[in-house]
Amino acid sequence: MEFSVQPDRTDHRIAWLAALAITIHIAESALPNPLPGVKPGLANVVTIAVLCLYGWRMAAWVSLLRVLVGSLLLGTFLSPTFVLSLAGALASITTLGAASALSAHLLPGRGLGPAGYSLLAAMAHIAGQFYSAYWLFIPHAALFTLLPVLMTLAVILGLINGIITRTMLQRLSPSSPS
Amino acid sequence: MTRADVVVLVLALALLPLLYVKFWHHGAAGEQVRIRVDGKPWKVVSLAHDRRVTVPGALGDSVLEIKDGAVRFIASPCASKFCIHSGWLHDGGAFTACLPNRVSIEVIGARVRYDAINF
Amino acid sequence: MTSVRRIATAALVTGAFVLTLTACGPKPDPVHKEQILSMGTLVNITLWGVNDKLAQKAFSAANEDFNYMQTAYNPWKPGPMGRTNQLLALDAWFSANPSILPLIKRAKTLYHSSDGLFDPAIGRLIGLWGFHSDTLPKGPPPKQAAIERLLAEHPTMDDVEIKGIRMRATNAAVQVDTGGFAKGYAVDRVVDHLRRLGVHNAIVDAGGDLRAIGSRGGAPWRIGIRDPGGKGILAEVDVKGDQSVFTSGVYERFYTYHGKRYHHIIDPRTGYPARGTTSATVIGTDGTVADAAATALLIAGPSQWHHIAESMGVKYAMLVASDGTVYMNPAMAKRIHFQHKPAKVVVSEPL
Repeated sequence: MEFSVQPDRTDHRIAWLAALAITIHIAESALPNPLPGVKPGLANVVTIAVLCLYGWRMAAWVSLLRVLVGSLLLGTFLSPTFVLSLAGALASITTLGAASALSAHLLPGRGLGPAGYSLLAAMAHIAGQFYSAYWLFIPHAALFTLLPVLMTLAVILGLINGIITRTMLQRLSPSSPS
Repeated sequence: MTRADVVVLVLALALLPLLYVKFWHHGAAGEQVRIRVDGKPWKVVSLAHDRRVTVPGALGDSVLEIKDGAVRFIASPCASKFCIHSGWLHDGGAFTACLPNRVSIEVIGARVRYDAINF
Repeated sequence: MTSVRRIATAALVTGAFVLTLTACGPKPDPVHKEQILSMGTLVNITLWGVNDKLAQKAFSAANEDFNYMQTAYNPWKPGPMGRTNQLLALDAWFSANPSILPLIKRAKTLYHSSDGLFDPAIGRLIGLWGFHSDTLPKGPPPKQAAIERLLAEHPTMDDVEIKGIRMRATNAAVQVDTGGFAKGYAVDRVVDHLRRLGVHNAIVDAGGDLRAIGSRGGAPWRIGIRDPGGKGILAEVDVKGDQSVFTSGVYERFYTYHGKRYHHIIDPRTGYPARGTTSATVIGTDGTVADAAATALLIAGPSQWHHIAESMGVKYAMLVASDGTVYMNPAMAKRIHFQHKPAKVVVSEPL
């Protein structure tokens, strides 16, 4: 029996979107970090845009691929950085899943837009990274003094990314929801 | 921005100050001094407001002064006044006592800086 | 109607999130603390990582031990040590009290290793200065003639002979004052007891002199060392494993007469309170040794402390001289972190 795997259109789409996200991610890594562990996270613009255009499943794929391939290319695969990134990504994917499901069911047509999703994703991402850092690497209460600061940055960056995403989506197709 | 987005933003902004209050009170706010007489807890007083506290001890009254988030003995009926000479205590875990008067004070707070003081 | 649903969705989502965040805080440390009034001071006992039941058991045991030792080791009140001193003055063999015998043996060893600077046998001299009672004397200081008379009798720990369980003093002037090391000895006994009960992470702090075992859940215990000048904390040091931190200070027991200060650490060579040093801090494993060494180093002063520390086997020592200069050995300099940098720090040869 012949058994072949043929990539279909969805696979192609995921691949090039992921590639886009990864490229942005790597380019961003080249920039100096103002604060350890905090990046503008521009690659998330792609994730959120994918969520709004193609749904949660695609966004989840793009996000995970970005973390995995990004770490392979940057040489951080299986390092603590990778673990933290993965934890953050999983947290934000889960939150986005719940948010988009709730949004679709309770507020069809008028639910959360890119800004809201981006905000939630950013906060979930930071929370996921923070708690995995606390539980796995630095179980000292003193770490918690960083949490308010990190979360503030998450809110700010999440909002900025969300606005960028919204602007981008509007440019792509003026009639798409914002 | 949809209305839902705005609500999320508002809730997120409301969450932030809560986080600061919860995790940042290792400064003067939220720290207290535990006063013991005869080894038993007598009173816990906040260091957030400047005030004086009179503590009745075995020999008489010891007076504590609380100012700028720190505490010290300013008067005590003991002979050596070692308690007074200990000066201001601010860090969590900082401790001194007037032994003859059986009064001890310890700064307590969310973040304890010292597990014990050697003197 | 519709705006309520909008808000409800957004709220539900962010709410679940907020809940997780605020509910998850740092895990509270399982620390138990208790204060006991004993040994003429406040004893603070800190336990880590034991359940409530064991903590209660440990605190009761410590309480009992300290109260027993407080009476047993008091040299001037009725009790085992008091009785021993009475018998020592009789210049005849007697059966030593089993709780006192080991204490006297340690005192003899420490007398030798400290080159005689740590000499508890000068109890009479200490009494002359008025430091026997719990309340502080008011002065005036004893006359020089009286001091010289007692000095001439030259009581030392060498005058105490031990044969099996029998003891005697060959010099009737010997009176053993346990003040310089009883706290260390008591802390050692309590720490041993706690260990036998299954407590492996604790601090037993008797009026500022302490022994810390284990750690605070993996993180070292952080000990603050008070500034003898009274300006808060001078320095901090981290301890882990099994370490005693003992400080002898001239500010602990003293009286002022006509503007001059007389403190309780009497130099056995001069008969007068030791001059030149404000405090001496020793970090070591054994509390008894650390206590005695801190006393001896304070008496030794800036010129001799290094030599005495070496002969007593001290690995970490710090002296604060009367002029404010801080002396310490390189190993101590590495361990200690100053909160207020002292005006002058002299790091000695290694110990």
